[in-house]
Amino acid sequence: MSFKIARSEGILLAIIAAYCAAVAVINPAFLNIDTLFDLIRTSSRDLILVMGLLLIMLSGGIDISFMAMALVGSYCATWLMMKIGWQSAAVLIPCAMLISTIMGLCNACLVSWLKLPAFIITLGTMNLFHGLMATLVGTRTFGGGILPPSFSAFGSATLFEIEGEYGAVGLTVSIIPVIIVVVLTWFIIYKTMLGRGIVAIGNDENSAIRLGFKPLYLRLFAYGYIGALAGLAGSIYICQVNAVYPDKMIGEELMVVAGAVIGGTSISGGKGKIFGAILGVIIIYLLKSTLIFLGLSASWNNFFVGIILVLSLSFTAWQEKVRNDRHLLFKVESR
Amino acid sequence: MKSLHLHVKGQSAKLMAESQESAGAGAPASTQNSWFKRYFIADANLNALCFVFILMAAVCALAFGSSMYSGANLQSMAFQIPEFGLIALGMMLAFLVGGIDLSIVANACLSGIIAGFILTGQWLPGLEEGSRIALAVVIALTLSTLMGLFNGILIATCAVSSLIATLGTMTFYSGIGMALTGGRSVVGFPDSFTSMGIAEVGGVPLIFIMFIAVMIIMAVMLEKTGNGRKLYLFGGNPVASLFSGINNKRMNLAAFTAIGFLAGLAGLTIIMRVNSAKVGYGDAYVFQSLIVCVIAGIHPAGGRGKVIGIGITTVLMQMAASSFTILQLSPYTTKLIWGLMLILVLGLTKDGRKLLNMLSQSLKKPAARRPAGSEDA
Repeated sequence: MSFKIARSEGILLAIIAAYCAAVAVINPAFLNIDTLFDLIRTSSRDLILVMGLLLIMLSGGIDISFMAMALVGSYCATWLMMKIGWQSAAVLIPCAMLISTIMGLCNACLVSWLKLPAFIITLGTMNLFHGLMATLVGTRTFGGGILPPSFSAFGSATLFEIEGEYGAVGLTVSIIPVIIVVVLTWFIIYKTMLGRGIVAIGNDENSAIRLGFKPLYLRLFAYGYIGALAGLAGSIYICQVNAVYPDKMIGEELMVVAGAVIGGTSISGGKGKIFGAILGVIIIYLLKSTLIFLGLSASWNNFFVGIILVLSLSFTAWQEKVRNDRHLLFKVESR
Repeated sequence: MKSLHLHVKGQSAKLMAESQESAGAGAPASTQNSWFKRYFIADANLNALCFVFILMAAVCALAFGSSMYSGANLQSMAFQIPEFGLIALGMMLAFLVGGIDLSIVANACLSGIIAGFILTGQWLPGLEEGSRIALAVVIALTLSTLMGLFNGILIATCAVSSLIATLGTMTFYSGIGMALTGGRSVVGFPDSFTSMGIAEVGGVPLIFIMFIAVMIIMAVMLEKTGNGRKLYLFGGNPVASLFSGINNKRMNLAAFTAIGFLAGLAGLTIIMRVNSAKVGYGDAYVFQSLIVCVIAGIHPAGGRGKVIGIGITTVLMQMAASSFTILQLSPYTTKLIWGLMLILVLGLTKDGRKLLNMLSQSLKKPAARRPAGSEDA
């Protein structure tokens, strides 16, 4: 296995390094192991989600209902556990993953049936899932006092601790599922027929069908996979914040999409790298958590994310257009 | 070489004819019919829409009676329709060219905020009230149009797909708004400005009349002018439009610039009515305007749909929202209903005709008499 860094990812790495250097010069407090561990902890939910999103976007679709799935899966699982009386976080995760996977499969069926832009369909199901949950299960907030202690124990557990300037800081346990998911996604995309098929339908669905791939099954897998990951990510998130709100997480999905896109994932399918997607999410979280070091309030967050997004988008699209023009390919469908 | 050229031309003419046909009932074949027939009878989708509208009106009358049809409620609906209707019209333009625009609401909010800064005198102080209002309106509309143009440049010139491009600009525009205001509202507009928002002519709000005027202008421009027909053709079949000598890039630019202008109008309407400007106002409108477009029969793949459909559906949505308020539904239940409605409408427009045929065949009745071509729904 050779690990080669592509040019776009090299640019992203350079941007991250330059930005970190700039922040460190302005505010030396940034250079602390604390910052790194905190970044890993807060971004672990979105790092898991972006892996599922990458698979979906490779298949030429998009799913923006994943935050709703994460919320509904973890909320319903918690609610069920409170009803039955189970206490362990080890039960929460598979429960939530199961519930979210079912929702993901619903998405896949709808996308395959309606043959319309997946964005519109999953926007509908996002509202549908959230509305169903709130109407059928309830809108109660489960605070830290009610939740089983195993949740917060899992959420705040650390692999190892280092004595920092401001006391001991530890690397969160959540990094283990993140690593597992990243490796699993890499394996699926590059080493299985399933993954190759998903990339194939993303590049050209008709050719993929003639090669013998079945788009329905591949979509079922891709949308089910993001469902399962959403359940996992949602459970990790509620363990980390140690509370279950009926309206959190929803509304943050576009930032994950932005992360994937900054990382060079193509919306029209077939193109995208795992490392790029990870870097994209990291950049967004880096901006989110370091503006305060620069003396800017959190209000500036969207401004900078927007600038980076627009710049990276126009840059990659422009490059592709120039390449297409040189090869006398004219693409009219990119509207 | 010449034969190839002719071949391409012939094919493009065929494609153009196909796309014209699919563009709805505006095809030249039905010109001898009256406008009413052309508009309502020949268009299956509009037909269904009118039917649903009458049904909804009747159900509301039966279920809520005077609380729905009281003068006060009708008027408050007429005050709320324009801002949302303008956004839906913008989304319709994006749908017509086969794209989507997520940045409409962010654009409206930002132009509203900038108008607010000028109106309150925080920017360009020392102007008289009248010129301040005029300047605020002009600058807000210019800026929003420029923001739309920026979207258009990203989409047409840099060839970014519209979903991602407008996702980026949505974040960017709302980011500018956040950076300018810090999340606070801009308040304290001059009375003569806000009085325009509540002004009425013979019981009909002024902003509602403006909305109707915008709708008529858009309908005429889209359906009666050459450029409008070109836009439909481009949306329905960009390959055909390219080979018909239409400047595809300019079509995209024009559509998204027009969306920017509509967003600016919506932003001004909003701040006029609620008397404050703030980031994040009307975020739900993005989703609701998508539903409106889908229900109104604007095909997401582009090239199909009519302005009047948007008009009817906007009123329909407002009636639904009004009845939710009367029923005191929770916002979550409202969300559930909107989501269900979107999926249902998408499913019905795809396979509704098939279901209907199956139903009528099982009832041993002759199948629907409509020619197969007229139903693309």
